[in-house]
Formats: sequence, structure tokens, C-alpha cells
Amino acid sequence: MKINIYGSSLAAWVAAACLAKVGNDVVICDVSEGADQELRKISVIRDELGLLDELTLQINEGRLARVQHVNAEAGVHWLALQSNEQKLAAQVINSLQKAECLYALVVSQCNFSVGATADLQSQLGGSGDVVYIPDNLQEGRALEGFNKPKSLILGFDNDSALTRVKALLRPFSSNLEGLQIMSSREAEFTKFAITGMLAIRLGYVNELANLADQLGVDIGVVQDGMGADPRIGRHYLSPGCGFGGQNFHAYVSRFSGILQKERQQSLLKTIVEENEVQKELLFRKLWQYYKGDLAGKTVGIWGVSFKPGTASIDNAPSLKIIDALISQGVKVRVHDPEALNNLKAHYAEEALIAYYDDHMELVKGIDALLLVTEWPLYCSPDYEVLVSRMNKPLIVDGRNVFDKEMMSLSGIDYLGVGR
Amino acid sequence: MNSRDIKAWVALQLHAEELKGVHLKELFELDADRFNKLSVSTGRFMMDFSKQRMTTKTLDKLLDLARQQELSAWVEKLFSGEKVNVSENRAALHTALRSPSSESLSVDGQNITSDVHESLAKMEGLVQKIQRGQWRGYDGSPIRSVVNIGVGGSNLGPLMACDALEQYAPTDTQRLDVHFVSSMDGSELEKLLPTLDPAVTLFIISSKTFSTIDTLANANTARQWLLDASSCDASLINQHHFVAATGNVQGALDWGVPKKNQLLFWDWVGGRYSLWSAIGVPIALKIGMVNFRAMLNGAHQMDKHFRDAPFEKNLPVLLGLIGVWNINFLNIHAHAILPYDGRLAEFPSYLEQLEMESNGKSINHENKRINYRTCPVLWGEVGSNAQHAFYQLLHQGTEPVMCDFIASATRYKNEGAQLQEQHQLSLANCFAQSRLLALGTGALETSVKAKDYQHYDGNQPSTSLMLDELTPETFGGLIALYEHKVFVQSVIWEINPFDQWGVEKGKEVATSLLAELNEKGKGGLDSSTEGLLRYTLSQGEGSNREN
Repeated sequence: MKINIYGSSLAAWVAAACLAKVGNDVVICDVSEGADQELRKISVIRDELGLLDELTLQINEGRLARVQHVNAEAGVHWLALQSNEQKLAAQVINSLQKAECLYALVVSQCNFSVGATADLQSQLGGSGDVVYIPDNLQEGRALEGFNKPKSLILGFDNDSALTRVKALLRPFSSNLEGLQIMSSREAEFTKFAITGMLAIRLGYVNELANLADQLGVDIGVVQDGMGADPRIGRHYLSPGCGFGGQNFHAYVSRFSGILQKERQQSLLKTIVEENEVQKELLFRKLWQYYKGDLAGKTVGIWGVSFKPGTASIDNAPSLKIIDALISQGVKVRVHDPEALNNLKAHYAEEALIAYYDDHMELVKGIDALLLVTEWPLYCSPDYEVLVSRMNKPLIVDGRNVFDKEMMSLSGIDYLGVGR
Repeated sequence: MNSRDIKAWVALQLHAEELKGVHLKELFELDADRFNKLSVSTGRFMMDFSKQRMTTKTLDKLLDLARQQELSAWVEKLFSGEKVNVSENRAALHTALRSPSSESLSVDGQNITSDVHESLAKMEGLVQKIQRGQWRGYDGSPIRSVVNIGVGGSNLGPLMACDALEQYAPTDTQRLDVHFVSSMDGSELEKLLPTLDPAVTLFIISSKTFSTIDTLANANTARQWLLDASSCDASLINQHHFVAATGNVQGALDWGVPKKNQLLFWDWVGGRYSLWSAIGVPIALKIGMVNFRAMLNGAHQMDKHFRDAPFEKNLPVLLGLIGVWNINFLNIHAHAILPYDGRLAEFPSYLEQLEMESNGKSINHENKRINYRTCPVLWGEVGSNAQHAFYQLLHQGTEPVMCDFIASATRYKNEGAQLQEQHQLSLANCFAQSRLLALGTGALETSVKAKDYQHYDGNQPSTSLMLDELTPETFGGLIALYEHKVFVQSVIWEINPFDQWGVEKGKEVATSLLAELNEKGKGGLDSSTEGLLRYTLSQGEGSNREN
């Protein structure tokens, strides 16, 4: 099949690699702005293990090509745009109509809103079908997730689409245990509901961790106990200093907005708001430790990206922590394997921030070290070196990666999240 | 007038005799152009005093009185920082608080304007830190609630402004709840504290002298609440949860507010004229510094108008003289303030203090008792609500009452037809009431003969003050207008509007009675007070026994 893929998200590149691999003739149409870089320079590709190799292979084999326009020749058009690129989706549909193709199958993985797919369908009219297939990407396992999904949701409003979609997805159905077929609106709703559920879970775990802090209970133990219950399971049970990132945050906020508007419902809104409060958790712990007297102190931060494996600082807890620290006149030193350039661009000429390439160099003479993003590089530091170099051996661990016992044996004051 | 030329005064007395039997209805019938002659419009204000029981001749004579009393010279004294507050040997420079930095004023070698702008800058820094969510409470959380503790001028002005300008609260910064507590019995705190989270609550202690017992009693209760909730020591709580707006650095310091948390103003700012100073910090927190500065600018525009406009076009001068005419020549001793705008609900309370504390005096500049009346009893309420309360007395009672109707011409520009209709309804009622008060049942063209109890005499005088719309600027202008009106009247009456000796003695007596209540007093009181003490103590004994 001739397939066009639109978008520059991880979902777009993964779909391109996987669809080409099974023999389709795939063209990536880089309609998003600034998406014409070399593959190896695109961070979502670079950060996903195996993706760059697979894409390169498919290009070399001649099954995958990149163009920078809408190519209407194809029979399948795969939209994997960002949630704020709804206009681009409309443009693609528009150009399909102009090209007067006989039939187009449009697959959308875009998370715009409930009803967006139906809107695209009515825009496309009789020239084809629009099918919504929510992505279930997990970063780090994205290729596997696409190639061998355990479950899939198909959302569409014209029955004629089903045969064609099934044919398209047949090579990826070997492990399929559940295929859910529903209307496009129901499918969109389901995707929102899943994301909201995960956010609520994280929010709840963070709330538990904060309570554990107050009651002197170790949340790690509680976490194990909860996870062992089959009704709960172990996923999404790790507390931390808030979730960030562009997609997840934007997506949860968007769903929260829909709930607010349609239902005057505030559960998810509370979760989003509390998450913003949680992002300042490490600052509050530091503030309490120093009894509100932070002016003139020097504080080191390990990790500023919103999660390991990305250079993105969108909605990252580190930003709120740094803002809070510099407002108190604290000198802040930062290290991050990937995100320092983004951070420099964000803070421009802020004199209180110093950027370090060596995370162990950074700790010399500091009054506290905050671990904000759990890059593997930070997980097993030489405790003796830390103690000898730090002015005050105080570590605030926002991701509970350090061994609490070892820390205190080494003479380090350790503050975790909920332990 | 006790001491000087009294020609203009006598002329007005004679003129009042002439006008005595003339009903407002007749005045309107006599002169179709009455509104044009007896109204003044500036850029954003329009004052209609054609429903006052006066003619252009009256106005001329009132202006003569103003000249006879050397009003121009007094205005210059006020603005230039002369010690117009004689009994306390101070200037009254609230006008300098809203003067732009380009118009510098020095008094006794001190550059007042730069002091003012320094204080404003410090206030701005503090306001921004709080609004950006970077002022931290004891556990490191950002402050979300602010409670102003103050009484009198340290309460009424900011409270009124926050209420009136709420719609101007910025949307791009953290939304703050701003609360006010004032009463010394702790009633407000008792209700408010359980609704607040101590970790995110900041208290502003607003007291010029930092010795006001009402305020300190509330501040102590607030601090104890924080200490109990936080288990932190007092110095940490003082640093992160208390700001002082005061003129007494040492007093605030002794109580525990560190200097960096002090916003200062000066002895030349009277309490009831202080919302333009550091006392206005709750306003700035509520509506943002940009809007606070807009409010100052609106007041400054009114200052310029008061200083520069000829008397016959000068809003504060006219408003003041109209009051004098009603009080001293028409013998009207009650004044109702009737805003037809729920946002100005607190305005009457504010004016009660501004007018009655300023001009409720009977000793003149030469320390002699005067033989004419000064400030009337003044009260008010949102007009449309008052229609269901005391308007009955205005329409059919035995007391002559002068009224100020206040309304804005436009409102709810972007808020839909329904609310705009409500505004129209309110304006229709405003205009209807002043019309009915002036003309009586004669305002209604009805052929049916009214029964006596359905009859309205009319002839109650009123002024209608219209704003183009209520904004921080016009609000600032409105307050400055009344401040200057009060000053104008004080000049006519030859009294000092800037002191308040009448509120001092009660504090002393209370201190001695507190000792009596603690059973450490000397006794020897009047039998009523002794009876009250005896009753209270006997009730307290009962409850102590139960404990």
C-alpha cells in the first residue's frame, strides 16, 4: 500500500518505520514546522532506542521517503500530529479534496478533542473514511508497542472503513488479544480517559507520599504492598516531584478543560493543580530544612529535563524549583546530560544560575543537592566524594533513586519523597 | 463667622430667606435651562446640582463666600505642604502621595516626592513577589491569602477600594484572596481563621502609630494562630507571615515585623487619607500595581482639577459649597450617600469617616467655639437597597435630608445583555428617585387625586454625580473629589479637618475601665458604669465557677 504519514511526533516516526518494514510504500510528509532536519538530529528519534536504525534501514531499502508537502497519490494517509496542530490536519484533508482522489483512508492518531475525528470525516465527505486509532506508545518501547500491540482501539463512523483498516493492520495483529471497535467520539473519549486515569493515579500516589512524609512512613514499602494487589498492579505507583512534559501535561489539561466545561467537574483540575504544587516539593523540603533562610546559599540541581531520555524542559518541575530558588536569592548550579541548552535559552542572562558539564564538579561547596530528573548517570554517586565536596551534605531526592540507609551511613542528610 | 468679614455669609442668609418658600418644582418651571446652568462636566465626571434648592444667584453668593474665606490661598497651603493641621503641627499631604515623580515637592528641605516613590517601589516589589507566588509561608508554600488588620482609615479605604475594583484583579498572576479584619472584639478573626490555611496566609498590620489597641489585639491573635498551627518559632513566623504598613518603624520592629517587611508612610498622611500610601497595599495586591497606579493617577487628575479649575467649574468646590448652603442656610442636617452601584457598597461607610471625623468639629482655628453648624450626620447605602429601607423617611418623613446620588453611565460592556439591562434598571431607579424627591407627587402626571398618605411633598435636594464608568482612575478621582470637598467645607467653617481629638479620650477611659474589669480599678465611677461593671463581673464569676 502507498501510505503517507504526517507529523513529527514520536508516533509518526514509529508508524513510518513499522509500516515500511512490512512492505508498504511509505512517505513521511514533514508538514510540521522545522521538521526537515537530519534524522539523527531529531531528538524524539534519537531518544527512542532502535528507531534511528530502523528508519535508516527502511530509507536505504527504498520503502521510506521524506517529502515536505502533501502527496495525494497515496491511498492511506496517517496523521500523527501534535495536539495543537489541528489546523494542519484540516489542511491535509483539504489538499486531499483538491486532488480529487477516488478514495482515501485517513488514519488519525491525533489527540485533538472529542469530536475532532468526526469533524475531519465531515470535511472529507464522501472522498474516504477517517479512522481514529489512539496511540498507546510507551517511550522506550515504542517499536514493540506498534509491531505487536496487545490491544487496539479503532474509532470510526463509516462501516466501510473496517475492511481497509483491518488489512492495513493485519501484519501487526499477531499478538492482538483485544480489538475494540467503537465510534470515533468514543475512541477519543477513551484515550482521554486513560490519560486522565494515569494522571489521577500519579496524583494520588504523590498525595500518599506527602502524607507518608508527615506520618513517618516509608512510601516505598507501601508502594510494594499496593502493587501486589492484582486490582491495582505496579504501574504508575512511583511518587515524585510532579509530572511534566508537553504531551502528557497538555493532554491532561485539555481533558480537564473538557470536564470543567461540560460537567463542572474538578477532580482532574485538582490533580493538575496539585501537580503544580508537587513540582515545588523539593523547594519546600529545602526551605523547611533551612527554616526559611535560603538567601545566599548555593544549591545544586541534578537533572532539569522533564524526564530522563529527553532534552525537553516543557513543564518540567526543575523550572518551578529554579524560579523559587532564585526568588529567594539562592545561587543555583545545574547539570543535565541533554537539557542544558534548553535551560540556558529559557533563563537567558540570569546571573544566579551556573551551568555545569560535570555533575560531580558541581557539588563542590554547595549547601544542598536536589535530584530532580533521574538520569541513570546520577543513580550511584560516590558518597564519600559527595560528603567531602559539599559544604553541607544534604540531598533532596525527588525521584527516590538513592539508597536511604547508605546515605545516612555516609553522613548525608537525606530527604526523599515520602520516605 | 466668628472672626472675620461676614458679608458673604449674611448675604446668603438673606438670600435663603428669599428662596424659603420656593419649591424645587417651581424652580424647574421657572427656568427651562436650569440643568445647563447648574451642572458641570469634566472629562469623566458629570455633576448635576440642578436638583438643589438654589439658583445661579445662590451659586454666585456661595462663590463670594469661598473668596471671602480665602479658599484659593488655603488650597495652595494644602498642596504646598504648609502645616494646615495646626493642632498637630503637621502638613496634610495626601495629594503628594499621588503626585507623579516628575512633580517634585520639598517640605522642610525633605524631598517628599522621592520618598513617596521610593515607598511605592518597595510596595511594588513586595506586591510582585506575592503575586508571582514567590512570597513563601513557613512551610515554603506560596502565599495565597492576605488578611489586612487595621481599623478606621487603615481599614475602610482599602476595603472599599478592593470591593469596588474587584473586576480589575489581574488574571495573569496568582489569584489572591484579600480579607479585612478590624473589630477589636475579634469577631471577624474568629469567623475568618477557620477558613484559611495558615501556611499560605499573610497578615498586613496596618497602623500608622503601631499602637492602635484594636489592631494589635487582632495581630496578636493572628500570630498565636500561626504559632499553634506551625510549631515554628516566632521570629520565623514574623518574617514570613507579617507585613507592616506603618509610620512607626521602631514600634513595628518591637512587635516583631522585620524592617524588610515594613512599608512606610509619614506623619503628614492622615489615617482617613491614607489609602494612597502603603496602607493601600491590600488594594495593590487585589488589583495589581498597574491598576493601583492608575487609581493614584485618577486622584492626581482630580487634584489638578481642584487646584486649577475656576471655582464655578470646580467639582470639589461646588460640592463643598452646596453642602454649606444646605447645612448653614437651609438648615438641613442629614446627608444620605446613595450609590446606585453595588460595587460602591462600602463608599458610604468610608465617607462616614472621611466627612464626620474630618469636619465633626466645633472649635475654629483660633481655638474658639463656633456659632454655626458644621458636618451633618451622614449615612448611606446602595441606593436601590435603601429604597427598601429608609427612603420612606426621605419621601414622607419630617426630616429634610440632602442626598448624593452616584452612578456610572456605562457598565458591563462585555458581559451580555442581561446584566446591561440590570444596569439600565438601576439607572432608571436612580433618576426616578432624585426626580421624585425633588418634585414630589408633582413629578407624576396623574389625573387621579392622591390621598394624603399617598402624597409626596418633594423639595428634598440632591446632587447627582455621574462617572463615565467605574475604573481605577475614576474611582481614584471620586475619592479625591470627596476629600477636597471636605477640605473646602473646613475652610468655610474655619476648622481643622485633619485632627480627631474627639476620638482620643475614649481610649484613655477604656484603659481605666479595663482595669476595673480586671478588678484592679479604683472605683468611684458614675452609677450607670458601675452597674454595668457589676453585672458583667457577676456573669463572669458564674462561668468561671463552671470551668
